[in-house]
Amino acid sequence: MHEYAFFLGCIAPNRYPGCEAAAIKTSEKVGIKLLPLKGASCCPAPGAFGSIDLNVWYAMAARNVCLAEEMKKDITLICNGCYKSIYEVNHILKHNDDLKDRVNEVLAEIDMEFKGSQDVWHLAELYYDPKICGVQKIRDSVTTPLTGAKVAVHYGCHLMKPQKERHFGDTENPMWLEELVDALGCESVQYRNKMQCCGAGGGVRGYDITHSLDITNEKMINLQEVGADALTEVCPFCQLQFDRGQIEIQETFGVSYGLPILHYNELLGLAQGMSPQDLALDLHGIDCTPFLKKVL
Amino acid sequence: MAVKKYDNPDLEKKLHDTRYHSIDTNPEFTKKVLDISRTIANMCYQCGTCTGSCPSAPRSSYRIRLFMRRAVLGLEDEALTDPDLWLCTTCYSCTDRCPRDIAPTDVIMAMRNLAFKRDIIPRNFLKTAQLIYSTGHGVPNNDVNRAARVKLGLTADPPTTHSYPEFIPGIQKILNYFELKQNADRMLEGE
Ligand code: SF4
Ligand code: SF4
Repeated sequence: MHEYAFFLGCIAPNRYPGCEAAAIKTSEKVGIKLLPLKGASCCPAPGAFGSIDLNVWYAMAARNVCLAEEMKKDITLICNGCYKSIYEVNHILKHNDDLKDRVNEVLAEIDMEFKGSQDVWHLAELYYDPKICGVQKIRDSVTTPLTGAKVAVHYGCHLMKPQKERHFGDTENPMWLEELVDALGCESVQYRNKMQCCGAGGGVRGYDITHSLDITNEKMINLQEVGADALTEVCPFCQLQFDRGQIEIQETFGVSYGLPILHYNELLGLAQGMSPQDLALDLHGIDCTPFLKKVL
Repeated sequence: MAVKKYDNPDLEKKLHDTRYHSIDTNPEFTKKVLDISRTIANMCYQCGTCTGSCPSAPRSSYRIRLFMRRAVLGLEDEALTDPDLWLCTTCYSCTDRCPRDIAPTDVIMAMRNLAFKRDIIPRNFLKTAQLIYSTGHGVPNNDVNRAARVKLGLTADPPTTHSYPEFIPGIQKILNYFELKQNADRMLEGE
């Protein structure tokens, strides 16, 4: 078993708890054990906090990393926004002693110190990494293949971009998440401008919701064009934007798509035999039944 | 090669002074943006690849290339008072495509930090900060969600500051260090 401190963030545990439950159960089946990271806070939200004062963002994210350092465990998480904060601050502080000293001055006030002893991973990259899990192990864990459905992938922005500060390579047309989707028995589909943002980030969702939804709507049009039965992503904030966003798009622009939105962990959960109830799919804004009927 | 001479002595002087800036220019601003963003905005050659990659550009007057120019020219007021500053989704598409290896996204973030120092900031950002101050979460738990969590076999509250509120004072100390709560309360007073 590979053990990790599980950083939850806000939207998964407090809006889509099925993502949290699914992550804990699905990972266990492929040899990954998620341990609670007690006392963790918001990552904090990179759009809002980064915009206000990057120094607060560094210090708050570093505090979360320190909790995992005390456990002597690497962190894993299931949200791109959290990845931006936790991965990136950990990475920057490890490589910038000046900044690290400044952050540690703040943390000294609460008797904590950032050491830079642990690493941060997105659970999806651990699933893909053959040293930890790998696509084959994911395929072997499937008991209910999700055959008969076309599933499109939304990578989101902050997992892989900016490319220079990450280790994923190509950000124009990556295919590794599609491999993970195909391993579940469904068929991944390509669509126009796959790497476009969901529209929620940078505080734009809160600042100008219509502008934000207009970006989402462009993605929805491109998804509809290829006849996707569902969209999967690896970020509960993107999930919120696509899922609740479709309802808001209906209210704002008068168009509806009814496209089920599932976090990759929820999709994997279904393929490993978890029921829609085990995943709290009823909390989703968009009814997942049409998709479930196709695959179950 | 002959160098053109002007009979206006003021203009001659300006043209020979490489430190000359127009009156709207604040060279300090250029420097501050560089310090905070840690990216080389001055290398921008205005190709427009950033704007061409930007999901916000086709649906607004927001042009990241324009902000890059403002950074280089030190047009502080023009940059910080433009409401378009807040339309960047921080998607980093421009950063991955910039042929000059600049991170325009980080230039925007630096400008937003400088705007905040002048009390220019969307209110919802401040509200998120207040929520984190009181609960540790930007998006806190609620009763519907608690019931759903229990049904899933999870604890009603996640094992974060929600279950361990003894960690909240530490978070408040960090935020107080930067006077964030105080500033948020002042700017949102009466709401
Ligand atoms: S892509 Fe880079 S060089 Fe081109 S205009 Fe934008 S910031 Fe300047
Ligand atoms: S990071 Fe901001 S400026 Fe750059 S492309 Fe995305 S939305 Fe546009």
